[in-house]
Amino acid sequence: MSDVTSESRLVRATVDLNLCVGSTLCVQLAPDQFALTEAGQSRVCGEGSCKTILEAAEACPLMAITVRDSASGEVLFP
Amino acid sequence: MTCPFAHNQAPATLSDDLMCQEVIDDPHSYYRGLREAEPIHWNERWGGWVLTGYDDVVKVLRDREHFSSDRMGYLARELPAEKQADYKPIFDVLSQWMVFRDPPDHTRLRILLNKFFTPRAVEAFRPRVRGIVNDLLDDLAPKGRMDVVRDFAYLTPLTVILELLGAPSLDRDLIKEWSEQIGVFFFIRADMPERRAIACEGVKSMCEYLQPLVEERRRKPQDDLLSVLVQAEQEGGLSEQEVISTAVLLVFGGHETTMNLIANGTLALIEHPEAWAQLKKSPDLVPSAVEELLRFDGSVKATVRWAREDVQLGGTTIKGGDRLLVALSAANRDPRQFEHPDTLDIMRSPNPHVAFAHGIHVCLGAPLARMEGQEAFAGLTRRLSNPRIAGEVLHYFPTVVSRALKELPIEFDT
Repeated sequence: MSDVTSESRLVRATVDLNLCVGSTLCVQLAPDQFALTEAGQSRVCGEGSCKTILEAAEACPLMAITVRDSASGEVLFP
Repeated sequence: MTCPFAHNQAPATLSDDLMCQEVIDDPHSYYRGLREAEPIHWNERWGGWVLTGYDDVVKVLRDREHFSSDRMGYLARELPAEKQADYKPIFDVLSQWMVFRDPPDHTRLRILLNKFFTPRAVEAFRPRVRGIVNDLLDDLAPKGRMDVVRDFAYLTPLTVILELLGAPSLDRDLIKEWSEQIGVFFFIRADMPERRAIACEGVKSMCEYLQPLVEERRRKPQDDLLSVLVQAEQEGGLSEQEVISTAVLLVFGGHETTMNLIANGTLALIEHPEAWAQLKKSPDLVPSAVEELLRFDGSVKATVRWAREDVQLGGTTIKGGDRLLVALSAANRDPRQFEHPDTLDIMRSPNPHVAFAHGIHVCLGAPLARMEGQEAFAGLTRRLSNPRIAGEVLHYFPTVVSRALKELPIEFDT
């Protein structure tokens, strides 16, 4: 598990819009990977380093963000 | 004065008295009438808009560009300078609360504390919360009766937040007294013209009481939230005023509303004995039940926003500077969002209620409150049988914002 948060590991997040309340915490913590839709919910705008995206996903009060390894599809969070 | 919503009449005349007895006792009927007649209603008496439709509520809470949370800033504009000086304690302290701040200050304070309140972080305290609940119920269950508010709902979250802060031995009775004083302003006790002065007393007392603990952490940091605040101060992330203000916020916010969630939820479950029985039999339903109890009769009826500039909302022009009472309880019973909204359905799914608000100010402590609620209701339904209300009439604190029982005396089999 030592490489889970390795900077070189590419991960992809998905946001469950049924859960997202627009806290914008993910956008604040990972502005290159998350942005806001016109309706004020979160959307993913790119892959990124594992550490940053995991931190953003963990910050979500609704656990609306799932993080997967880009290559293998393995779920890293939650 | 009689209230036209006393018997769910058609709202021929919309009552603007948010403090009348009928509205305090049964806000849901009042808000239903309002939502059906005029979901964006100008309340002349209160001097602001009242929003009762789910979509409007969510829209305003997500729109931080047009709507501000700066309550103390807008209050300052209303008051002459000498009045502001009279209320120095609440201006000094509450103006630093993240709940009343806009970005970027809100963001800075929220990010600092958020990592200690994430769903994953609060799981670490679940065994401790279960232990607190069990200890209380070990004591209460053989007695056959209790006041749910005083004996259970208050003590559980207060014990938890004081332990998280690193101040487990603070006097529970003093904290209750001061929190109630702060509450008359925070929750808008509109019938008390002296509410700001009373809140000043509570704020001042709590600051003086917490200050020595903060000093102690400056000398010798511990593994607790007070030390997190002090460390942020030393790194330049928080001002001295923000440290003590946030400490007060955590004590106050960490127990008042969770106490009411537990009390309101217990009442709802007692009034729906089939739901109580279901939870007793299938504790795995407790998480979904907590969401439904939050929707059905949450502890915060409403939150307030101020329009920064003229803005259109559902065909209505909201003028810059106007305030809006965003009725969370009303949104949670909007039939356009929730099927059979007045029915308690502990298996309701999906359940996108707004009991913790929505947008950037969604409750920091929501994951903790959810977990505490889960442990509280799991414990109560497991340990107590045949609970019933022991009293004629229940009374609520008359406020615009909170849904708070004064007491909830119950009896149960031993």
